[in-house]
Amino acid sequence: MSFEELEHTADVLMRVRGATVNEIFADAGRAMFHVMYGPCKDRGIERQVSLEADDLESLLIDYLSELLFITEVENTVFCTFDVDVRGTRLSAALRGEPFDPARHSGGTIVKGISYFGLEIVKEEEDYVVEIIFDI
Amino acid sequence: MLAGINRVGDIEWEVPIGYVPDMRVPGRFFLSRALVETLEEGAVRQLANVATLPGIVKNSLAMPDIHWGYGFPIGGVAAFDMTEGVISPGGVGFDINCGVRLITTPLTEADLAGKKRELIERLFSAVPTGVGAKSTMRVSNKELAGVMVDGARWVVDRGLGTGADLVRCEGEGAMPGADPEAVSAKARQRGVPQLGTLGAGNHFLEVQVAREIVDPEAAKAFGVAEGQVCFMVHCGSRGLGHQVATDHLRTLEGALAKYGIHLPDRQLACAPIDSPEGRAYYGGMVCAANYAWANRQVIMHEVKSVFAQLFGIDYDEMRLIYDVAHNVAKFERHDIDGTSMEVCVHRKGATRAFGPGAPGVPGEYAAVGQPVIIPGSMGTSSYLLHGTVTAMQKTFGSTCHGAGRVLSRSKAKKEVRGKELREHLAGEGILVRAHSDSALAEEAPEAYKPSREVVRVVHEAGLSNIVVRLEPLGVIKG
Repeated sequence: MSFEELEHTADVLMRVRGATVNEIFADAGRAMFHVMYGPCKDRGIERQVSLEADDLESLLIDYLSELLFITEVENTVFCTFDVDVRGTRLSAALRGEPFDPARHSGGTIVKGISYFGLEIVKEEEDYVVEIIFDI
Repeated sequence: MLAGINRVGDIEWEVPIGYVPDMRVPGRFFLSRALVETLEEGAVRQLANVATLPGIVKNSLAMPDIHWGYGFPIGGVAAFDMTEGVISPGGVGFDINCGVRLITTPLTEADLAGKKRELIERLFSAVPTGVGAKSTMRVSNKELAGVMVDGARWVVDRGLGTGADLVRCEGEGAMPGADPEAVSAKARQRGVPQLGTLGAGNHFLEVQVAREIVDPEAAKAFGVAEGQVCFMVHCGSRGLGHQVATDHLRTLEGALAKYGIHLPDRQLACAPIDSPEGRAYYGGMVCAANYAWANRQVIMHEVKSVFAQLFGIDYDEMRLIYDVAHNVAKFERHDIDGTSMEVCVHRKGATRAFGPGAPGVPGEYAAVGQPVIIPGSMGTSSYLLHGTVTAMQKTFGSTCHGAGRVLSRSKAKKEVRGKELREHLAGEGILVRAHSDSALAEEAPEAYKPSREVVRVVHEAGLSNIVVRLEPLGVIKG
């Protein structure tokens, strides 16, 4: 896994690391669904997302916020995230399964994605971002 | 003790201008020496960041449950001049009008004997909780607009409550100025299926007993007697509120350059109160706040129905004491250095605590002050307090909202096993019901500051006075 939970008293702080911007967007989504539902299996549900923002950080927040909206209103849990970021545009192909209370109640609701301290930076060969999920 | 902070009273501390660049006013917070040890530098920095916002009046404040959040610290309070000042979703949070209500029943602990497990199971079935919970109540899109404008009244008008319930809510269960146009289609879509659901995280429904009456006169005015069984509901505006916050944060962030506002943290995104963006956020936030009051009203009705059925008591024998918001921004009139002034007060993880005779305090409580409800962490005491004149003078009529975390959720999960915690609490007579044991571990009592210490500080600081201490008997975890 290329995300790790760091210490944060109130909320969930995740550090996501990847070789490309596409990877950190994919793993940020994975990290969020891990917080919300725990384990998930690909059972054939597919969903596409396309977005555009002013900068990369806003794009990441918009993308994660869109996933929050979709999971809640469509009752789906995603586990694979194929993300293509070009400049400040994104298209993502998501795969997952229908929400099942028996298997997906191990996590907690994410209320929102905070701008606080969110910056996509290059550390040696990798891109790194720290994200606070309000729970 | 952190560097750069000055002690200005027994339990009062100042963060001087200059702690971070561009502060317009000093910061001020209330904390005992014992609790200062738990203070995070990040929380103080956030308190100082708030002091850089345009039009801030007097002080950037924090209550004794201060801890590191995003934008404002949790426990943060700040008031802004209506002309020069700003409104910020970062001063309210994603869970708009997260709040608490407390209800008395005519039962004593002895009446629950042999029936407590059944009560908790029935409540767990009656109130949808946890991730993915949907309401059994069907609300149309058109009806949702009514909920967003009328708040708790919309629910009472449908027979789920009484007019007296409304009088005993902060702002009578609905803020004026709702603008349903400022609530996106996405927010509405999330709001429709969730009215009457508890949510997750630190939200809960708790059956309690009034264990200790600290102020008999005030307790009498609030209608609570020692040994009385009560219940408490802690939840907010659900997905609708989260979406309103997300949508407007985005808009306000994009408008910062337009208003020449420079911020130390993008999460403090804001706009002048009387700007198109500021007005839109306010109107949308009010809709979400009203939805939250309606949400707590529906849940209270469901719980009352369970109690009435199980114990053969009358629905009307259960009385709402009060309902308070602890994540909201409101236009209020306060005395600022001898002049009465309208300001926009942001309370993020802070409770309104209006003193005796203040406008907005229900007539029946006018002599005592507004009831203030402070939930404890799971398995620990909760408190009923009353607002004070000191709070009006020092904190724009505000006090703490809860215990405040000291342990991260991941650390809590490492240190505490949910199953053991559940069994331990059961041994103390506290029955806990949740969808998962890991959710329990995250909310373990040791993850929080002791509620008694936080409440002692606000009592000693005079920001609100303890009336009743309540102990948990059973908990439904969100």
